[in-house]
Amino acid sequence: MLFSRRLMLGLAMAGTLAGALAVPAMAEGPTEIDLFFPVPVDGKLARDMGTLIKEFNETHPGVKATAVYTGSYDDTLIKTRAAIKAGKPPAAVIMSANFLLDMQIENELTNLDSLIAADGTTKEKFLGQFFPALQGNAVINRSVYGVPFHNSTPLLYINADKAKEAGLDPNKPPQTWAELTDWAKKLTKREGDKVTQWGIAIPCAYDYCGWMMETLTMSNGGRYYNEEFGGEVYYDTPSMLGALTWWNDLVYKHKVHAPGATPGPAVSTSFISGNAAMMMLSTGSLTYVRDNAKFAYKVAFIPRNVRNAVPIGGASLIMPAGLDADRQKAAWTLIKWMTSPEKSAWWSRATGYFAPNMAAYKTPDMVEFLGKNPDAKTAVEQLDVAKPWFATYKTVPVRKTLEDEVMLVLNGKKQPKEALAAAQKAADETLKPYNAETSLKLP
Amino acid sequence: MSLAEPAALPVATSAAPRLHVLKRFSNRFKASLPAYLLLLPSLVFLALFTYGAMGRVLIDALYQRATPKAPLRFVGLDNIASVLADPGFTGAVVNNLIYAVGTAVPSIALALLFALALARTHAVNSALRAALFLPVLIPMVAASALFLFIFLPNVGLLDYYIGRLLPVLPNWLGDPDIALYAIMIITIWKNAGYYMLFFLAGLQAVPEDVMEAAHLDGAGPYQRLRHIILPELKPTFLFVTVIAILNAVTQVDHVFVMTQGGPSNSTSLVLFYIYQQAVEHYDIGKASAATLLTLAALMGLTALSFRTMANREGGS
Repeated sequence: MLFSRRLMLGLAMAGTLAGALAVPAMAEGPTEIDLFFPVPVDGKLARDMGTLIKEFNETHPGVKATAVYTGSYDDTLIKTRAAIKAGKPPAAVIMSANFLLDMQIENELTNLDSLIAADGTTKEKFLGQFFPALQGNAVINRSVYGVPFHNSTPLLYINADKAKEAGLDPNKPPQTWAELTDWAKKLTKREGDKVTQWGIAIPCAYDYCGWMMETLTMSNGGRYYNEEFGGEVYYDTPSMLGALTWWNDLVYKHKVHAPGATPGPAVSTSFISGNAAMMMLSTGSLTYVRDNAKFAYKVAFIPRNVRNAVPIGGASLIMPAGLDADRQKAAWTLIKWMTSPEKSAWWSRATGYFAPNMAAYKTPDMVEFLGKNPDAKTAVEQLDVAKPWFATYKTVPVRKTLEDEVMLVLNGKKQPKEALAAAQKAADETLKPYNAETSLKLP
Repeated sequence: MSLAEPAALPVATSAAPRLHVLKRFSNRFKASLPAYLLLLPSLVFLALFTYGAMGRVLIDALYQRATPKAPLRFVGLDNIASVLADPGFTGAVVNNLIYAVGTAVPSIALALLFALALARTHAVNSALRAALFLPVLIPMVAASALFLFIFLPNVGLLDYYIGRLLPVLPNWLGDPDIALYAIMIITIWKNAGYYMLFFLAGLQAVPEDVMEAAHLDGAGPYQRLRHIILPELKPTFLFVTVIAILNAVTQVDHVFVMTQGGPSNSTSLVLFYIYQQAVEHYDIGKASAATLLTLAALMGLTALSFRTMANREGGS
């Protein structure tokens, strides 16, 4: 009995081994490639991605692509890096657009210039398909390393019913910080000391907080980081001080914004439930608001103090370093197909992100969609004033040094000035090794 | 030939009298050979996925790059020194200590209370036990996602009910003074039912005749608890305490889901710090060094508790 069971086990194992060995030997037909993709918003995206890849495989017999779900943006970076280390990089990855610089510094990306040249086109022509605001996060040292896939900008969402109730005209949304402050005051409802309705909510959790600080700083005329060089951030500057002080004033001076750090989902829930009358949130939440709001809402540009300007967010398609020529070619075919006007437009309608390919908005389906959902147009129009997303050496820790301090300010534990000085100091410390190798490496 | 026939091995015949130490060793080895064979499958997997990984961590902890493009070089204990000097790490250790004590003590106390109340088996108690055990069955990630909504400021379940009583609504996960305690509540809620099981089992082992004798001698409920039940439960206490402390270090799913260590690092625990070093800072050397320190602390704790348990067993 024991013997026969062992025999069975042995046979089963031998079978498995033989099977495992036989598979690579038989893989003669189409080039097999993996696409790593994250789902940053909700589970439905995974199904949409399946549909997209199935269509690609049906129309491209020479390539067999497999979509591999890899969790959040952060998880996708981890898994991509692990796969590169193991010597089996995926052929293409949908990567958070502000991770590209860090990966390029670590030599983990394939330079796409030669693939573009092999198509008989130029870098300028290739990038010219996409909104100019998106190019900054795709180009590093004048070389193309990523192709924009789905993108977002922050928007101001307004509960139009509550605005009318307060005697405000939702068709003339606030355009400046002064107007926004005024609106927020009028939209805040109190019962004694207790606030029953907040005028405005701005999210602050890791990732979102840095993006909102970049948004406010840009609207205040400033820059978050050096767009040309990954070793500098501008935290301890008048423009960022003004931005953080205004945010702090909304909480503690005007008392129209709830104290403490509130993550994105809490902000959108608060808006949907009527607890906050306005919010600043990504265009990526537009579909969620459209599907769930039981009231009339309006979206508008982020108001300015000095100028209208917002950062982009979202993801690009990249190719990890270390791919053989066949898989590179197959992945390039997939990337070009996924970022073509038709597919780009389809993905945009399915997800709520805007389509990076400008021609997508000329496709008949998209024209019809925008006719039905004019709010989706606001995000696209705001792209005219959009600028790249911060990306530095060690983007995440550098961003976190600022976020930790902003959280202290929003909780009333620190004043903006000292908080920004501390954030600058910590960020400079993190950036030190990179500067030692670049800007401070002198002859 | 079957593997279950160790007597056929020639080793036993070769030992000379003066090599009796060796012989004894080989005899013992021969006797326990089947045991080793039975252990082999799990040893293989432990070696592959646990000890192998630990060895790798040990090596990685000794190397570091000076600048991003510089090659890895051997730095000895520098990584460990820089981890110990990092306020992020010491902050995480302090948070973890508060978290360990603040979750272990209340959840063990609650577990004991539940077990004492539900020690007798009948239909109502079985139903109550199942109800208290339910949180254990919910995966930590799912539980965290649920609590995310319970803790939502202003509109969450918690604020909805207690909001009427408090003048200012707390931002449960957004205030660095409160966030760690909010996280602790989930752990206590989730683990108390699990520890209750151990105490229920421990209570079964309290000798019936001693209890009866005490009863006849006129010992009240408190005296029986203080002088019979609690001393009998000592090994259970020890075991559950070790499990609770190990959980406090290894179970950090809710930190990932709910706060990512924030706000302002107030819920950063040691394991989360290691994750941040490895993933966000991409600093494998420092992450490995922090892992080594944590492993050493956990192994020390486990060894200590096993020795205490062995001593107790030997003494009784």
